[in-house]
Formats: sequence, structure tokens, C-alpha cells
Amino acid sequence: MTTENSAPVSGSIMVVGGGISGLTTALEAAEVGYEVFLIEKEASLGGRVTQLKHYFPKLCPPTCGLEINYRRLKDNKNIKVYTLSEVQNVDGTPGDYTVTVKSTPRYVNSNCTCCGECEKVCETEISNEFNFGMNRRKAAYLPHNMAFPQRYVMDSAMGKDDREKVKEACKYNAIDFSMEESTFDLKVGAVVFTTGWQPYDATRIDNLGFGRYQNIITNMMLERLASSNGPTEGKIIRPSDDKAPETIAFAQCAGSRDENHLPYCSYICCLASLKHATYIRAQYPDAKIYIYYIDLRTPGRKYENFYAKLKADENVFFVKGKVAEVSEESGTGNINLVAEDTISGEKIRQTVDMLVLATGMQPTCAIDKPAADLTFDDEGFIINDFSKGGLFAAGCANKPADVVTSNQNATGMALKAIQTLRR
Amino acid sequence: MSANYIPQPDLGFIAEIKGLGGETLKKCYQCATCSVACPIAPENSPFPRKEMIAASWGLKDKLIGNADIWLCHQCGDCTDMCPRGAAPGDVLAAIRSAAITEYATPKALAKAINDPSKLPLLLGIPAAWFALLAIITTAFGGIMEKIFHALFGDALGGRLHWSHAHEGAEHVIAHSNFVSTWFVDMTFVPTAIFATVVFFLALKRFIVDIHDNAVLEGKTDKTSLDYKALLQSVINVIPMVLKHDKFNQCEANKDRSTPHMMVLFAFIGLFIVTAVCGIMLYVGGYAGPYPQLNPIKWLANIAGVSLVIGSGMMIKNRLTNKTQVTAYKDWFILGIVFALGLSGMLTEMARLAEIAWLSYFFYWIHLIAIFELFAFLPFSKMAHIVYRTVAMGYADYANRK
Repeated sequence: MTTENSAPVSGSIMVVGGGISGLTTALEAAEVGYEVFLIEKEASLGGRVTQLKHYFPKLCPPTCGLEINYRRLKDNKNIKVYTLSEVQNVDGTPGDYTVTVKSTPRYVNSNCTCCGECEKVCETEISNEFNFGMNRRKAAYLPHNMAFPQRYVMDSAMGKDDREKVKEACKYNAIDFSMEESTFDLKVGAVVFTTGWQPYDATRIDNLGFGRYQNIITNMMLERLASSNGPTEGKIIRPSDDKAPETIAFAQCAGSRDENHLPYCSYICCLASLKHATYIRAQYPDAKIYIYYIDLRTPGRKYENFYAKLKADENVFFVKGKVAEVSEESGTGNINLVAEDTISGEKIRQTVDMLVLATGMQPTCAIDKPAADLTFDDEGFIINDFSKGGLFAAGCANKPADVVTSNQNATGMALKAIQTLRR
Repeated sequence: MSANYIPQPDLGFIAEIKGLGGETLKKCYQCATCSVACPIAPENSPFPRKEMIAASWGLKDKLIGNADIWLCHQCGDCTDMCPRGAAPGDVLAAIRSAAITEYATPKALAKAINDPSKLPLLLGIPAAWFALLAIITTAFGGIMEKIFHALFGDALGGRLHWSHAHEGAEHVIAHSNFVSTWFVDMTFVPTAIFATVVFFLALKRFIVDIHDNAVLEGKTDKTSLDYKALLQSVINVIPMVLKHDKFNQCEANKDRSTPHMMVLFAFIGLFIVTAVCGIMLYVGGYAGPYPQLNPIKWLANIAGVSLVIGSGMMIKNRLTNKTQVTAYKDWFILGIVFALGLSGMLTEMARLAEIAWLSYFFYWIHLIAIFELFAFLPFSKMAHIVYRTVAMGYADYANRK
């Protein structure tokens, strides 16, 4: 490498959020020589994709992409990862920012080997938010089997007795309850926000009964049910009685493209439901799947082909009309749904074993606004102001997007951040 | 839908619907939430989703003669749940208004009623007419008496008189002293006949159209139109109309049902009062004003108060409800009904307070309001009383459930 070709490092880049977009941004910048601080509020990197069974349209597990990225990350000394950390404030101008970061303690140091002895002895249980609360886990836990760093977390909800027990159980001196919350400043030249998305709160969609009827679940919950590291070890069963569903309906645009909820198209839900149909078909070859939609949005040749494949499936039925009313069949826990089939002009009343709401994505930065000089659109996505520079957004902090688009976007924003430093 | 259906988009019609309070119609993306949200839409070909796409394309022929637009009671449940703010309830109201115009003759009058710039003319003509009648009655009573006597002489055994006033009428405030009852009836009887004829001509086309549309869209099991059976069906639905059964199924605008019921029953009450008074006058020779203790007066007072309160509540609802569009067509009819009720009650109150000039002034307003209501009945939103009843009757006849 000659001197002319190496990047003159004149500042650092901060990436806020360690999901697929954040990993990409951080790696792309670091691999051309820039120092990167990667801030992640959870205990592990990986973000939303770690909750998926498969990516669409290739139907490969997310471990694929994550493994490669984790490998690149481990090999790169330019990246400093801060988990369980949140950005509190961003001050300054392009090229010269002071970012205040708050870190909460993990109570586990780098000695941890993930032997799991602490988990065995811990008695305190907490809701497992990784599985959307569908099961509980110990207060001493590994975030998930794809966690990075591969290191346990001691939840602050853990009782005093348990703290003693886990400390005793740990053979490697890895548990340290003297760790404290810390707040510190980092100097960076540019910040890329890759804060990702939250599944839209389905309880707010009044007419679709989520939260009222047990056998109405969200698409992300189905993703967890179908995943081998999920609450049912990959068995898709309905919550009320663990029955294998014979008829499953999907309600597309649940809370998306709706002025009363999220006014925009969340981009991924159509493909997600088609993908979910493949999960169900693989597990229950005789199950009937009904997809209620307004219009199916499967942009591009690959996605269109994916749709065509499902369309040809004799057990997958597409109904053009939005599910607008649901109720529970008394005694069975089955779900009655009502929609108008706009092709035939008939009202459809169908009873299904399980209803999946294809809920959309809300940018995390709309719920938890970063304290930085950013411009937001009406829906809370960050608008990239390239003339100002310095602060950027990639992935779903910028727009609803799939993994491919997020990564393209993230690569672009890595370059924008670099340009800020070199100006 | 037949394979050879060629849509005839009518851009002018889209503009017309937009102008009548349906400006949001183009926002619809056909998700069909509305058809499910509607508590009264039938299972087969529910509304209003299909009406929304027809409106968006300007398919006038699919809307004007479509009985479904009249089955809608504009309760607003669809508008509430619409993910696009396309307000199907308001769009259907606008389509109904266009349908009223379409079936009414003469067209020019129908158009004038939906045109705010024509309002001074529509109010001014009856105002001038009743003012003229008042001048003749008050200033030329003697001459009229002579003319009347010369024309009718001693017909009916001399029981016919120009003046309907009581004995010693100069001491009481009687409105026939201001505008002769003869003049009033000579105005309103032809007006009522005119309205009836307009309705008759309209219904002749309307019924054929809604039947053809129902057959075309597979909304009925009847192939031919049996007028007798249809009439029976219309009679069948009247108790349902009176009880507001359909109206009460609405969620979003539940509070609209009660005022509407008050207004409907007020009009029924006032119709009975008018009929009884007419019979008493022309058969019994008994002229008003009736004493307060008379049961007919009780009915009149209750109906009058109910009309004022009912229409007042409707206006208040319209003013406070931001989710529902209120267009000129709505204010026109609400204004007239409220003015009619209020001027009637004020006329009576001023009379009881013995302020003759004030009572006569309110009476003049009252006459104008009545004229607006009757003469424009087949042209204004009020025509729903006929179209909706017939459409509901047709739905009953057509087994549309």
C-alpha cells in the first residue's frame, strides 16, 4: 500500500446502531482506514435481522451475512464497539462533533466463555423481549446464540441472592457487579445514524384485535416462532393451545399505508408474508394460507419471481381486500375475519386458526429522537441533508427498506461520512 | 360485469362530486375497509368501496341510478376507519346530491339550489311574493272582499268569506289578517302539486334505473320489475324508517340519529296539525289561532319545539364535527329547517306577547321558509325522504341483504 492510496485519517466516524446497516457503515469506513465508534444500545450487535429465521428472497438464515460481518469486525482494529450504550447528545459542527455516550453495565467482563453456569443457577426470570415476550428467560442470559460479543448479560432485575449465586457459579471470574453506569464524550468528525426500526405497536390497530385475541400474532412474532432459536424451537404453533394451525391468514398493511397509523408503505411486509408462507408450507404441507392484501408490492425481478412461485402454490390463496374486522370464535379460539374481496365484490367471512398481522416498521428515531441537529420528515425518518453534511442516516432510520437496500444505503453513507472528514 | 363493458369516464362528473363535498374521492386506494366497516352494507356487493372506484373514474352511469348510494345513512363509520382520509361517507353524500339534481326537472332549478350565488334569488322571489300578498291583504282587504263576493257570491250557502278572521278580529292578532289564508293556500297548494309532479317524473326514471343497475350488477334475484310488489315493500320499510333501525346501527355518528328522529317526527306532527287545521277551516269553518288548551295546539307546540331543537342539534353537530364534510347543500337544508321551526315558534310567542308587528314579521319569514322547503323539496337534500325510502323499499323487494 502506498502513502498516496492510504486514507489520511483526520478524524473518526461514529455509527449509532449496530444492526445490519450500522455494521455495514462501520465496516466500510473502517476497512478504508478510518477509526469508527460503533454504538449499540442492546447487549449484542446484529439488530433486527438476528430475529429472523430467513432472509428473503434467498431464504438463507441471517447467520450467513452476520458471520461474515462479525469476522470482518474482529479483524479490524479500527472499530471500537460499545454495546449497552446510547448516544445522549451530539454537539458541534461537521468535522468536529462531541458526542456524549451513556453506557449501562453488563456486569460481565471479557473473561466470559459462555459456559452458561450462571444461567443454570439464576432463579430470577424476566420477559424475553428478543421473542417479543412470548417466553421468559433467566436474568443471567446470552442475548441469543448469534450474540456479538459472545458474552452473557446480568440483568439489573436480578435479586441479591441470585447475584451471589451467579458469582459463585462463574469459574472464570467474569461476573463483576461493581461495574457502574458511565457517561463519556467522544470526538468524531461525522455521525451516521443507523438506529433501525421497531415493529409498529399492533395493539394500536383497534379493529384488528391484537392483544385481545391470543391467536392473532404479528409477523415478527411468527418469525420468532419459526426460528429454531425461538420460544417454540421453530415450531409454528398457535399461542392459545399450541395447536398446529391448519388455516392461517395474513392481514397485509396492518397499520401501514394508513393515515391513522403509519401513512407510508413499510416496504418489507409483502415479501415477509410471502416468506412466512414458505415457512408454513415447509412445516405443514397441508395447511391453507390466505393472504389478504390491498396490492402486493414485490418490487424488482427477484421479488416478483418469489411472488410468482407462491402464487403458483395450490395451498396459498391471495384475496384482494384488507381485513377490516376480526372477532374470536367462542370456545375454539379461532379467529373470524371479515374483508371484501374486491375482485368478486363479495364480503368474505372466514374462520382461521391463526391470523398474522403484517405490521410495518416505525423508525426507532421517531419514537426515541436523537438529540442531534437532524431534520426529520413527518413520519420521523431522518432526512439526509448532504449540503450540510456531518450527520447522516442509513437503513431504516432513513426510509423503510429491506436488507439489500439498507446495505446499499449504508455503504453510501459511509462514503458521505468519509467525505465530511476530508473536506 | 359483462366482458364488453366499456367505461365512459366523465371528468365533469368527478368535478361535480368534488364540488358537492366529495373532494377527497381521489385519495381512495380500494382497500375495501369501508365496505367492512359499514354496519349496514349487504354481504353481496357491499358499498361504498365499489362506489368509490366508480366515482374516481367518473362512471356516472354506475352511480346515479345505483340504489346503494341511498342505503347509506352517512353514519361516518367508513370515513372514521378509512386509512387514506378518502371519506367515503362524504363522497356518497355528494353522489346522492348529484343524483337528486339528475332526476329533478327542471334542471336549471336543481342546479340553482346547489349554487350559493343563486341563494339571494331563491330567497328573494318568495320574500317579494309574500310581501306583495301581505300588502294586498292588509291594505286592500275591502277590495278583495268585494272581488271575492263578486266571484263566488253566495256559493255554498254564503259560508265562503274572504276573511277567515274571528269575529272582532281587529282585537286579536290573527295571521290571516296579515296574509290571507286564501293567498297562503293559493300559493302552497300549487307548490305542493308541483313538488309531487316533479317527484313523480323523477321516480318513474329512478325506479327503472335502480332496477336495471341491480340486475346488471347482480344485486337482485328479481328479473322483472313488479310495481305492486315494490309498493308493498316500500310500505314494509316505513316502520323501519320511523324507528331509525338502520341509522341506529352506526357507530361513529350515533348522536346524529336522535336529532334526525326529532326532525322527522316534528314534520309528521306538523303535517297532521296542518291537515287538521285545513279540514277545520274549510269544512268546519273554524279559523285559527287555536287556544293553547286545544290538543292540536299541544301537538303543534311539541312538534315545533322538537323541530327547533332537532335541527339546532344537527347544526351544532355539523359545526363541531371536524371529520365530516359539511357542504353548501347541507347548510342550505339545515338552515331552512331551522329557520322554519324557529320562525314558527317566534311567530307564536310574539303573538302571545301581543306584539303584532313582530309576530307578522316572523310569520313572513316563516312563510318564506315553508316555501323554500316545499318548492325545493325534490331538488334539495330533503329529497332523500323520497329517494331513500324508495331505495330501501327496493332493497327489500330485491332481497338485498
